[in-house]
Amino acid sequence: MATYEAPLRDMAFVLHELLDMEQLAKLPGYEEATRDLIDAVLEEGAKFCENELFPLNRSGDEEGCTYENGVVRTPKGFKEAYAAFTEGGWHALSFDTAYGGQGLPKALNVVLEEMICAANLSFGTYPGLSGGAYNALELHGSEELKSRYLPKLAEGTWSGTMCLTEPQCGTDLGLIRSKAEPGEDGSYKITGTKIFITAGEHDLAENILHLVLARLPDAPEGIKGISLFLVPKFLPKENGSAGPRNGVQCSGIEHKMGIAASSTCVMNFDEATGWLVGEPHRGMRAMFTMMNTARLGVGVQGLGLSDVAYQGACAYARERLQGRALTGAKNAQAAADPIIVHPDVRRMLLTMRANTEAARALAYWIGMQVDVSLKHPDAEVRAEAEDLLALMTPIIKARFTDMGFESANLGVQVYGGHGYIREHGMEQYVRDARITQIYEGTNGIQALDLVGRKLPAHTGRMLRRFFHPLADFLEEEKSDPAMAEFTKPLAKAFGRLQEGTTWIAQNGLRDPEEAGAAAVDYLRLFALVAMGWMWARMAKLALARQDGDEAAFYKAKLATGRFFMTRILPESAARLEAIKAGKAPLMELAEAAF
Amino acid sequence: MRLRAETGVDGKMEIKKAAVIGAGVMGSGIAAHIANAGVPVVLLDIVPEGANDRSKLAKDAIARMLKTDPAPFMHKRTAKLVTPGNLEDDIGLLADADWILEAVVENPQVKQALYEKLEQIRKPGSVVSSNTSTIPLAKLVEGLPERFRQDFIITHFFNPPRYLRLLEIVAGPESRAEAVDAVHRFSDTGLGKGVVRCKDTPGFIANRIGTMWIQIAVNEALDGGLTVEEADAIASRPMGVPKTGIFGLLDLVGIDLIPHVSKSLRDNVPEDDAFRPVYRISDRVKTMIADGYTGRKGKGGFYRLNKEGGKRVKEAIDLATGAYRPVQTPQLASLQAAKAGLRTLVEHPDKGGHYAWKILAHTLSYSAALVPGIADDIHAVDEAMRLGYAWKWGPFELIDKLGPAWFAERLAADGLPVPELLKQVGDGTFYRVEGGRLQCFGSDGAYHDIVRPEGVLLLEDVKRASERVAGNAAASLWDIGDGVACLEFHTKMNAIDPDVLAMIGQAVATVQKGDRFRALVLYNEGSNFSVGANIGLALFAANIAMWPAIENMVQAGQQTYKMLKYASFPVVGAPSGMALGGGCEVLMHCAAVQAHAETYTGLVEVGVGVVPSWGGCKELLTRWAQMEKGPKGPMPPVAKAFETISMAKVAKSAAEAREMGFLREGDGITMNRDRLLADAKAKALAMVEGYAPPEPVELTLPGSSGKTAMNLAVDGFARQGLATPHDVVVAGALAEVLSGDDTDITATVTEDRILELERAAFMRLARTPATLARIEYMLDTGKPLRN
Repeated sequence: MATYEAPLRDMAFVLHELLDMEQLAKLPGYEEATRDLIDAVLEEGAKFCENELFPLNRSGDEEGCTYENGVVRTPKGFKEAYAAFTEGGWHALSFDTAYGGQGLPKALNVVLEEMICAANLSFGTYPGLSGGAYNALELHGSEELKSRYLPKLAEGTWSGTMCLTEPQCGTDLGLIRSKAEPGEDGSYKITGTKIFITAGEHDLAENILHLVLARLPDAPEGIKGISLFLVPKFLPKENGSAGPRNGVQCSGIEHKMGIAASSTCVMNFDEATGWLVGEPHRGMRAMFTMMNTARLGVGVQGLGLSDVAYQGACAYARERLQGRALTGAKNAQAAADPIIVHPDVRRMLLTMRANTEAARALAYWIGMQVDVSLKHPDAEVRAEAEDLLALMTPIIKARFTDMGFESANLGVQVYGGHGYIREHGMEQYVRDARITQIYEGTNGIQALDLVGRKLPAHTGRMLRRFFHPLADFLEEEKSDPAMAEFTKPLAKAFGRLQEGTTWIAQNGLRDPEEAGAAAVDYLRLFALVAMGWMWARMAKLALARQDGDEAAFYKAKLATGRFFMTRILPESAARLEAIKAGKAPLMELAEAAF
Repeated sequence: MRLRAETGVDGKMEIKKAAVIGAGVMGSGIAAHIANAGVPVVLLDIVPEGANDRSKLAKDAIARMLKTDPAPFMHKRTAKLVTPGNLEDDIGLLADADWILEAVVENPQVKQALYEKLEQIRKPGSVVSSNTSTIPLAKLVEGLPERFRQDFIITHFFNPPRYLRLLEIVAGPESRAEAVDAVHRFSDTGLGKGVVRCKDTPGFIANRIGTMWIQIAVNEALDGGLTVEEADAIASRPMGVPKTGIFGLLDLVGIDLIPHVSKSLRDNVPEDDAFRPVYRISDRVKTMIADGYTGRKGKGGFYRLNKEGGKRVKEAIDLATGAYRPVQTPQLASLQAAKAGLRTLVEHPDKGGHYAWKILAHTLSYSAALVPGIADDIHAVDEAMRLGYAWKWGPFELIDKLGPAWFAERLAADGLPVPELLKQVGDGTFYRVEGGRLQCFGSDGAYHDIVRPEGVLLLEDVKRASERVAGNAAASLWDIGDGVACLEFHTKMNAIDPDVLAMIGQAVATVQKGDRFRALVLYNEGSNFSVGANIGLALFAANIAMWPAIENMVQAGQQTYKMLKYASFPVVGAPSGMALGGGCEVLMHCAAVQAHAETYTGLVEVGVGVVPSWGGCKELLTRWAQMEKGPKGPMPPVAKAFETISMAKVAKSAAEAREMGFLREGDGITMNRDRLLADAKAKALAMVEGYAPPEPVELTLPGSSGKTAMNLAVDGFARQGLATPHDVVVAGALAEVLSGDDTDITATVTEDRILELERAAFMRLARTPATLARIEYMLDTGKPLRN
């Protein structure tokens, strides 16, 4: 049976032992984010996710959302859970205190998001979208818009959406057709149809704030002519409460492969009143500044799913008695051994675990860069953190969501036929995970972002933020023989990443199709090295502590790390070969021959 | 006093002394440039009313030119060759001048009065020329004696005379052939001009076509509702025109000039000339001139820099309202389309495409209709537009790009007349390559070889006629005849990368074999010889921490350059334009250099936070140590090199390069760009006989005491706020290299040891974030970062 227990020990290991998250308390505004507070928050959050959200995951999936006459109802229990969630202030954990938020680091929110998504991904989409809307408004809205709407989002009584996609435009937002006509009072009339709008309509909040991309009448063609508008479902009254209904309607919801309890809506805007957020025609810029956080958030969804799939598979592998170990009975008193005795079952479990734990370390580290990039007093440090964040965002989004799907699949495999049927809840993870590889920029697009934008930016400056500290780490650890089993394979993989990077710089700049052909393999290679580095760093700590109080924990770390270094990291060689094969094998076949 | 014009060794007249009358911008600039050629020149102007110094105008002009940037003089010393004077007291100075150049106000009466005065004093056989741009020669010589008519021509320079290569020469029916040839020859070899012989027609070639181009471009921008930014984006790069486009160009030359120039052309062209119907002085231009918005010299022009509120905002004028607003980046789909070619641009349906078509339709058909009226062949027309207006392609080359038949058809479809020459060329093109030779279409309907003047050797011709001997994506080796090989760089900006280094190595090996070549010339026909090492590659490698790869690249450069220096045959570097950093270092390793006068050399590495590491420190030290004159002892060469490198000094001419030690006494200077390769080849051949590579050098360097002295100097600069924190770091690393680091004056230091020090300093600096920030900033903005 699927099961979830928030991995608080491992989280603490990463946050405190590996990353020293308390450092964030030195940033202005985060003074309260001490280790004690962090631990208390996570403990409470874990309880909420385990006890309130996780039990609704399967029932929500079975029941799904229902649509009737423009009204969307979430599955049973969601409304109550959402009320309790906002009551506890979980949705506003990292919102500014000025608007009624808790003012805690964004990195802490990343940890909470991992738990929420592991427990109930569908549920997580509602506060997730509100968070996106909050960020966009906070960064780009006028003071008036902020003071009117941010407190409502912080209260949790109003929720938010991001309305980008239209029937004719998905990845290519330059094709947006929705129009915005200027009104006389500084507001705009928004008209158009938006599809695939997550949380576009539901019964959890009193009001819904749509952030809508549309074109002004004088807008230049394409991506440079798009502006961002705030369109509330109910127009606020003078006293700030929800007033008359605005011209925005949900005309239906999608029937999907997964995340059935998350409402995916078609939204019709018919001269709906809205307000400009940011500058005219600069809507994409506003989108870009919040894209890192949003994409990081989706990556964390993959992380949560990967962990919960591992936990479910692990429990089953211990219980399920079937056959005997290859070297003779391990559980002689029973009719069969638990399947965890089998090397291949262990391979599956360790693959899930080794990836998940490295991903957790990477996600939290990069999550901290969000806070540094926003709050650090030194502009240079902020810029460096922003570079690292921008560089790693596509890697985290794409690799972690692929990992979530791969883990969910392995989870089903461990269960065999019992994974394939609904009863145990393992197949839901496969279906739920599938969307994370698609939304917020498909994983293919993430790879293009990496090779096309991030890699060449300022002649490789963003790369420096990752490559230099890694090179320095390897240099420092070179002389430690105990670390050799980690640093040697890492150095080898790093060399491959350097070679692959150089290859793309040389060939991809000359011919963008070469970069495009190499993109996904390169992202994967990069992720392997990044996760390998996380393992080496974790191993260094574990080596020093493996004989202490928590020997079992650290020894398990080392064993998992060894598995990563020997069974996963070698994939880097294959990825490099694939990169260097160039575009020819992909482009040779004539279109008609497909 | 010499009473007859000088003759050279071959009996041809030589210009050994010149005079310029009129010390305005053009006259004084021409005088300065004649001095640049090493020829003494008298500069006279009128005596201003009430002046204490009767030669004030000429003296002031010289003083002003010594402060002008870009400098009219190639070296400050050159100014001494210009003798200032006035037309009343000093007219006697003209008596022994071989060439008297008149550059006074564009008024036939004034000019003729002067000519009569000149007739009283000038020696037999001397030549008189006018720099007029608007008055026909026939009118200027009207009523003057036969001797004057025979000795008179028009020499039309372009502003600024040192830098714009075009010289239009117009000879009258009576002009003496020797007189014309003498000025032509001197202008070509001495002044380095691209001389184009024109007929005595209004505006000659360049301004006739250029004025039409400007008029149409302004008219159509106004009529077509384009912004100035849109117009300038279309009428520039896509057409091979400098990026100033049309309105930027007018701001540069002065908007108040337009009405004069266009009116003068309109008044002088024939009744049926195509310029007459398009001639127009728009109200916008009239208002701007009246309000003092005459361009960069005035309150602003079509563009201006608004400094209100302490900010510098570049603004552009709204052509319809006359109000200024911040400049906008043009968003025309046709600009994107233009990347696919000129034809795609003019066929684009938006206003940009329409605009491009209108400009080209009028300008190019006008050009075609003027041949042979204004010049004997189309090549002269193209040359004039390339050299005088800095167009990348002349009008006929542009027609070839569009396709002459297509162009004729489209003209006809638009109801525009199709010029005879265009009909004649039919389905052919104006230029073609036949048997490896470039030919152009003549008005006789036949193709003719383009014959280069004697002493002109162009690599582009060699490339048409032969296959490269060896090469890769970055550089090629060519056979330029007589056993001389030429290595051409052809990377972007001719930056030096591992491929270029590999080809230098291969070139040395190829010549060394001795079966085909005896000497090697390093030369290319890019705008710049080389802007230095490809720092983008280095930065990228540094960003991804590929330190060994970077060190390998440094070492490869050192070894390759050393191989060049110690080759068993002469290597001659032949630079033109910028030769900076690694591009300067490669020259310093050549046995000799034949430099174009307009060569800009410097070891500018500190600008990107590193020190010269391909032997530049080593060679500059060696140069100063071996210099005959100059103080002795280990410190002076070190101090000289330190000053030059730490301040990233750039020689702004070959003459300055010699003074700064980048060129040696024996290195040659060629004034005419087109003659550079032939001169370099001759220099190389002259060295072949008995050539021996240089002896390895061992230097005595001061060691730590020298290092301390240099560091003290830099600290002083830092305290005065003249050196930034990273300047101090970089200069410290440089001091370590130049001082010989741990040596002392009792020991000697080998070249290899200095190379080792260069490498170590480079690697150390390359790991500092401040150096990486400098390189990044330079690549992103083209400017140095002062961090």
